[in-house]
Amino acid sequence: MGANSQKKVLVCCGTGCLANNSLEIYNGLKSKVSAASVAVSVEPIIKATGCNGFCEKGPIVKIMPDDISYYKVKPADVDEIFEKSIMADEVIDRLLYVDVATGKKVQSQNDNDFYKKQMKLALRNIGEIDPADIDDYIERLGYQALNKVLFAMTPAEVISEVAESGLRGRGGAGFPTGRKWKQCAGYDSFPKYVVCNGDEGDPGAFMDRSIMEGDPNSIIEGMLIAGYAIQSEMGYIYIRDEYSLAIKNLAIAIAKAKERGFLGQNILGSGFNFDIQIVRGGGAFVCGESTALMASIEGNVGEPRAKYVRSVEKGLWGQPTILNNVETWANIPLIINNGSEWFRGIGTKGSTGTKVFSLVGKVKNTGLVEVPMGIPLRELIFGIGGGVIGNKKFKAVQSGGPSGGCIPESLLDLNVDFDTLAEAGSMMGSGGMIIMDERTCMVDVARYYVNFLAEESCGKCVPCREGLKRMLEILNDICNGKGQLGDIESLEEICSMTSEAALCGLGKSAPNPVVSTLKYFRDEYIAHIVDKKCPAGICKELTSFYIDQELCIGCGKCKRNCPAMAIEGEAKAFHTLDMQKCIKCGNCIDTCKFNAVKVGEEAI
Amino acid sequence: MNITIDGKICQAEAGEFLLAVAQRNNIYIPTLCHSDALPGQASCRLCIVEVVENGQHKVVTSCVYPVTREVEVITNSAKIVAMRKTIIMLLSARVPGNEEINKLREEYSVPKPTRFTSAADEQCILCGLCVKACETVGLAAISTISRGITKKVATPYDEPSEACMGCGACAQVCPTGAISSREEKQHRTIWNKRFELISCKSCGKHFITKEQIEYMRNKLGSTDDEILCESCKRTHIFKKFKDLYGVAAK
Repeated sequence: MGANSQKKVLVCCGTGCLANNSLEIYNGLKSKVSAASVAVSVEPIIKATGCNGFCEKGPIVKIMPDDISYYKVKPADVDEIFEKSIMADEVIDRLLYVDVATGKKVQSQNDNDFYKKQMKLALRNIGEIDPADIDDYIERLGYQALNKVLFAMTPAEVISEVAESGLRGRGGAGFPTGRKWKQCAGYDSFPKYVVCNGDEGDPGAFMDRSIMEGDPNSIIEGMLIAGYAIQSEMGYIYIRDEYSLAIKNLAIAIAKAKERGFLGQNILGSGFNFDIQIVRGGGAFVCGESTALMASIEGNVGEPRAKYVRSVEKGLWGQPTILNNVETWANIPLIINNGSEWFRGIGTKGSTGTKVFSLVGKVKNTGLVEVPMGIPLRELIFGIGGGVIGNKKFKAVQSGGPSGGCIPESLLDLNVDFDTLAEAGSMMGSGGMIIMDERTCMVDVARYYVNFLAEESCGKCVPCREGLKRMLEILNDICNGKGQLGDIESLEEICSMTSEAALCGLGKSAPNPVVSTLKYFRDEYIAHIVDKKCPAGICKELTSFYIDQELCIGCGKCKRNCPAMAIEGEAKAFHTLDMQKCIKCGNCIDTCKFNAVKVGEEAI
Repeated sequence: MNITIDGKICQAEAGEFLLAVAQRNNIYIPTLCHSDALPGQASCRLCIVEVVENGQHKVVTSCVYPVTREVEVITNSAKIVAMRKTIIMLLSARVPGNEEINKLREEYSVPKPTRFTSAADEQCILCGLCVKACETVGLAAISTISRGITKKVATPYDEPSEACMGCGACAQVCPTGAISSREEKQHRTIWNKRFELISCKSCGKHFITKEQIEYMRNKLGSTDDEILCESCKRTHIFKKFKDLYGVAAK
């Protein structure tokens, strides 16, 4: 190495790292380099990249070709990184990742357990390129697939390649992408439209955001290929307005792609015309539903319509339209470049390729991961995710967004794909995975999601709007200790009707949080309603705590953390909790390292 | 083509909605949000039916389900009736004092829901017909506001709308009588806006708002039409016909 080989420094500027001052780190390194430029023969390149994925340990700085990754970097570390690792070839030990199992420092990202088990296809460029620099994308085979389809493939060949790959829509329902394109191509009505759904609204999900922010050109290229395949000349990217960086980066990418002749009239001299426009959504969850999204683009209230006539026949402005999710689009250029057979070789038979998941909640390694379809849930949560924070007991994982479901520990060996998750009463959704530990009340979880959906339902049809309203009323009562006998049956009655009679897919899946928690955690409902107890110690009206005298060593941690001063006890003697003063915040139970704080009443 | 509804063979055009075919054949399917003039709401979901195709049963909404193949339709299977009952229960919990819903409740033997808290004076089931009527008239003076369980129909900011011409089309299509249109002798009050009523040139009855007349004249481009109420207009046309042809219009 040394001064003669050009170093490339990649500073993660995804949303999580930005929030932790990564822009300051990037600017700091940049000004250091430009100040020193006269002194070096080959100037190092400093790049601001999209989300690297390991958000838990951000901000992340990666130095190539030495392949050093630094984690939890602070602006104060800039000088040292510049002097030791950029101007010289030294590694700063204290910024390296520490392997959880061995306790050893890890220099290369490739030796880090979090990355090792991943397979980055949709995320192939994110963290490696500057999203604002189209040359970075081109350098990594960008727009080669476009070139290939324009000059070496017929539209029918493109469609059949995508169909053969087995790619299924990554937005939630998992509809075969190739089949959708083929249907749309079959309608002889023009103009046709290509739409990208970037209205990612699930709580805890940031897969699409990361791709839009970190690799916008992959989406543009995917849409271009579809445009060519179905003979469309216009595409729309619908992005929720909260995603300001995604909107910015995509707008830059579109402008640069136009400059380079990848977008616009007579693309690459092929005679094919295609343009893309960004439409900003107003932040309604329901606009992630394809027909509501199209209504919103048209300037109407974002309400879904019945899909007896599919969008491939009559979609946007009543014209044939294909709508795919961000992650689906990002996969398209790869399938064209590497072939359907290659893609089919990854994942499972029914669900080919990879899937990006956002691991959040009570998991050690919060972040964005991409794995082959069919990976066991356990591997995802405990292998890559590192297990549950504080080594507490795993209780459930909520997948598929608010209208997904909760999967219990007994199903941890499930191989994750579209079909297995649906069989378990949950769904793939767009790939959110919220990990919950023993301190999670499943009735409260159902209430949380039903509350979200009640606010975010479009409110058009009776089953979804009134059904959710009444489910919420019942769940609130149950959590507040006012549950009645018959409530479970009432919930089931409303759920079963709504799941079939609601107007759209979101409405039909809206009962899932209740159905899946009732299926796997029914005893918790019964404990709330009949015994008036919340086994997890979350619902305040139904909770009491006590300190187990046998287990308490008198460390005083609970006492220090109690905001209500309800705990008393001398150092090294067992402590007691005064329930008269207790506000049931749960700080004591969450901080006790000796498992001495218990939920319930002390047996006398 | 022929489809079977509750065992009866019915003729249907391709693309025709199931509900229309059933209605033409005197097969009753309950609905609140359907209007022949303003189709496509599909919001009340009462008109759900089961369609059987290749032995597979699926629940569809008959008011927007287009007939494309020869299928079998069951309008009142045990499953559909149970689902309708739940929908009626939910509607009744929303508008406990509404007569139309109470009639439906009795028809389907749904007990008065007691588990939930309801707003006593609520009459609107949010079917959306009023909004569609206003839009179709060409004004969009009212719209749905918000989403989810707080959704409602209102004028912008709940203030008297500038666009509203007081035609009352919204109140006329409302299946639950939820829109109050109060008529005193020479005034009509609707959506918190008071309109002056113009009288019929022939009988003197106050029946139309000034704004309506203006709107129609602008739209039709005519100014010389005499202002006649519905019944006088009929008499007038009748007379015209007779003068012209010597025979009365039928």
